[in-house]
Amino acid sequence: MGKVRSLLIKSIIPVAIVIVSIWGIGAYGSQSQPQEGDQKHADVIMIDMLKAFGKLERPGVEFLHDNHTKALEKTKKDCAACHLTEKDRLSLKFLRLKDDSKKQVMELYHSRCIECHKQIASAGEKAGPVECGGCHKEKPGVISIRQPMGFDKSLHFRHTKAHENKCETCHHEYDEKTKKLFHAKEKEGSCRYCHKEVTEENRISDRLASHIACIDCHRKTIAAGKKAGPFQCSGCHDPEQQAMIEKVKDVPRIKRNQPDAVLIKTSKDPIQPEARMNFTPFDHKAHEGYMDTCRVCHHEDLNACNKCHTLTGTKESKGVTLDRSMHQANAVESCKGCHDLKKADVKCAGCHSFIDRTIKEEHACLKCHIKPLQQTTEPIPKSEEPLMAKALLDSRSPVTAPFSEQMLKDIPEKVVIKALAQQYEPAEFPHRKIAQTLLKNIGDNKLAGNFHPDQMTICQGCHHNSPVSIKPPKCQSCHNKPFNENNPLAPGLLGAYHQQCMGCHKAMGMEKPVGCMECHKEKK
Amino acid sequence: MSLTRRRFLGWIGAAGASTVLGRNADASSTVHFKGYPDSFAILHDISLCVGCRACETACNKVNELPPPDLPFKDLTVLNQKRRTTAKTFTVVNRFENEKNPKQPIFVKKQCNHCLEPACASACFVKAFKKTPEGAVSYDHSVCVGCRYCMVACPFEIPAYEYDNAFSPRVMKCTMCHPRLLEGKLPGCVEACPKEAISFGKRREILNIARERIKKHPERYIDHIYGETEMGGTSWMYITGAPFSQLGMREDLGITPAPELTSGALGAVPIVVGLWPVLLTGIYAISQRKEKVSAEEQALAVAEAVEKSEAAAKQKLTGELEKARKDAQKDKDSAIKQAVKKALDEAASVKQEASDV
Repeated sequence: MGKVRSLLIKSIIPVAIVIVSIWGIGAYGSQSQPQEGDQKHADVIMIDMLKAFGKLERPGVEFLHDNHTKALEKTKKDCAACHLTEKDRLSLKFLRLKDDSKKQVMELYHSRCIECHKQIASAGEKAGPVECGGCHKEKPGVISIRQPMGFDKSLHFRHTKAHENKCETCHHEYDEKTKKLFHAKEKEGSCRYCHKEVTEENRISDRLASHIACIDCHRKTIAAGKKAGPFQCSGCHDPEQQAMIEKVKDVPRIKRNQPDAVLIKTSKDPIQPEARMNFTPFDHKAHEGYMDTCRVCHHEDLNACNKCHTLTGTKESKGVTLDRSMHQANAVESCKGCHDLKKADVKCAGCHSFIDRTIKEEHACLKCHIKPLQQTTEPIPKSEEPLMAKALLDSRSPVTAPFSEQMLKDIPEKVVIKALAQQYEPAEFPHRKIAQTLLKNIGDNKLAGNFHPDQMTICQGCHHNSPVSIKPPKCQSCHNKPFNENNPLAPGLLGAYHQQCMGCHKAMGMEKPVGCMECHKEKK
Repeated sequence: MSLTRRRFLGWIGAAGASTVLGRNADASSTVHFKGYPDSFAILHDISLCVGCRACETACNKVNELPPPDLPFKDLTVLNQKRRTTAKTFTVVNRFENEKNPKQPIFVKKQCNHCLEPACASACFVKAFKKTPEGAVSYDHSVCVGCRYCMVACPFEIPAYEYDNAFSPRVMKCTMCHPRLLEGKLPGCVEACPKEAISFGKRREILNIARERIKKHPERYIDHIYGETEMGGTSWMYITGAPFSQLGMREDLGITPAPELTSGALGAVPIVVGLWPVLLTGIYAISQRKEKVSAEEQALAVAEAVEKSEAAAKQKLTGELEKARKDAQKDKDSAIKQAVKKALDEAASVKQEASDV
């Protein structure tokens, strides 16, 4: 008997281990995120406001707003079925104006949601759940594809046109004394400058502000029988529908009395004759055209940069000095950062992807810090600054010159590369065509034109590290044997050719050549 | 001699003490091996590799390996992930580029030639050796075929000639050590048309890698794979995509394999050399102890026997004496009684005679 028992125990243990491990793996796997193929929605609202009263007893409820508006339409009900009206506008809360207590909010949802679901179900229609687990799900049931929404120039223009340039329809300021909103003409800025991510004191969050204002207006306009924007969630937040929003091609300039040209200075004070650095003229009008919104550069407000970004930095600028604010690499708000990002354009990347961005070239400074047209001995009054800026900007000619007749003759049409002649037929390199294409790619790009007005700069893309010349050194002059100890960063000839040619093709998004044979013909 | 519990524990204790002592001696060294000062290294710039397999072709040629099933120009082999085998010392694998699906990423794989190789530390016949040139070389003549090196390698590189029944070898990239000694470049390095693999002194190679990352921070991740992995390797990698997406382990840490195993493996010579002596010694001591005690026991027994014999003899003599005395006494009293009886009888006869 004892023997049988020990045998039984011995056989049960491994089985138990296997079962426990399988269960463990299963439990681990089940924690994964929703799988692909699950429903994607732009209208998911998480009902979890009870969090404000302490820890949630059950998981929050994923509420699909658009599904509910559609269902209400069928029963000829409108927003008022769920939203109360406050000061002539719909409250965003469900059947209440504020959250009094945990019990009140919870009971409101439970009674009214379930009541409506039951009603619809009794009418034989497809209705929402009535049991706890139907709404309070442990695992997310849908994937939210909600994208943030914002105004670009085009959408702003369509709104100003529809509202006949009445800025006060949307733009307002808060008067501390009268505690009322008022419109300050030509002080308008982005909603986000005041309405931040979360509600602060008497300023509601940008989410609340935009939903109250936008949806209310759209709803009323539609009710008046006019064309208006969407009031369903997906209309603004679904990426597909966002792409369908009508775009105005040539958006007229926003009228807010902004300058055409400014001088970027270190302070508000008038320019003194002893100022050391050349002031940078900034073509404000042109840049308005390049950007989608004012917010790209004016990230916090519509004041001059130097209000926060002083020479030494301020608390408001988070210590970012004027120098950094203008030259910060890869920051779209900064001049140099944004210009650097422009170099990633496929038209520019062929050359620029090879150029070491860490090198600071002296002559490049003067491209922005333009030398004054005339020296003065008197301080320059502020009123003259725009004119001075305009004059400085006009003194430039931001155009890359085309190749002259003589140059076209001097530029070899073809270059035959025989470095791999033992294995392949010599490779024919369409040298002149490439030079012309690169120059053509610049076109009338003012940024490129300003920084390389000389057409020969194009040659420097390949013929680098030697002075501009119509007869630059051959590639072999520097790139000969690989792993040269004197210049370890320079590849050998084989590496130099392949890295330069293929690297440029890759950076410019060219799909050809594929494989070796498109450049190297098979040896006969 | 029977093995008692106490004796067995005694042996284990002694053996344990010897191991601990041995480890202490090793750990007292504070020198960190940073590799041979002028050793060579190779940098694989993954962002430059185009997956042409020219390195594989050259490797096959210079190492005189058998031709592959499919020709090297057939790029369909890249459709599956491969590993190094006894017939291919290096393989190029293709990985998805999550940032730009149109431009897949190619990674060359071969022996990384660790500065402190795990294979060498696992090999008990010292078939593997880190040469001053940087290559980890293999000596077939001493190999016993245990394949511990294959288990030890964190990069899963060494392969075994399973189809060679009589003299199977462990096969892996040699960093073209013979060619290095001739002043030539490794085969793959020489063949790479993109110079996606650079060759040089290890410190210069590290400088090149750092310089490239510094110049083009948008193109590279700020990490040189192999600079510190497993204590550093002689093959290093830089890339724009995370190494974990390129089938390269990022969990290896920076401790060289021998350092992890030196405690245990450092005890091996002690165990192999000292233990027999120690155990024989313990055995001899215990044997001697037994012999001595046996002798002592015999002596004691003899003594005891002698003693008891003497006692018995004495007792016997005493008793005999007593018996004799008793007998004498009996005899005397009997005589006395007989004499008395005879005297009494004679007196009564005399009485009777007088009466009559």
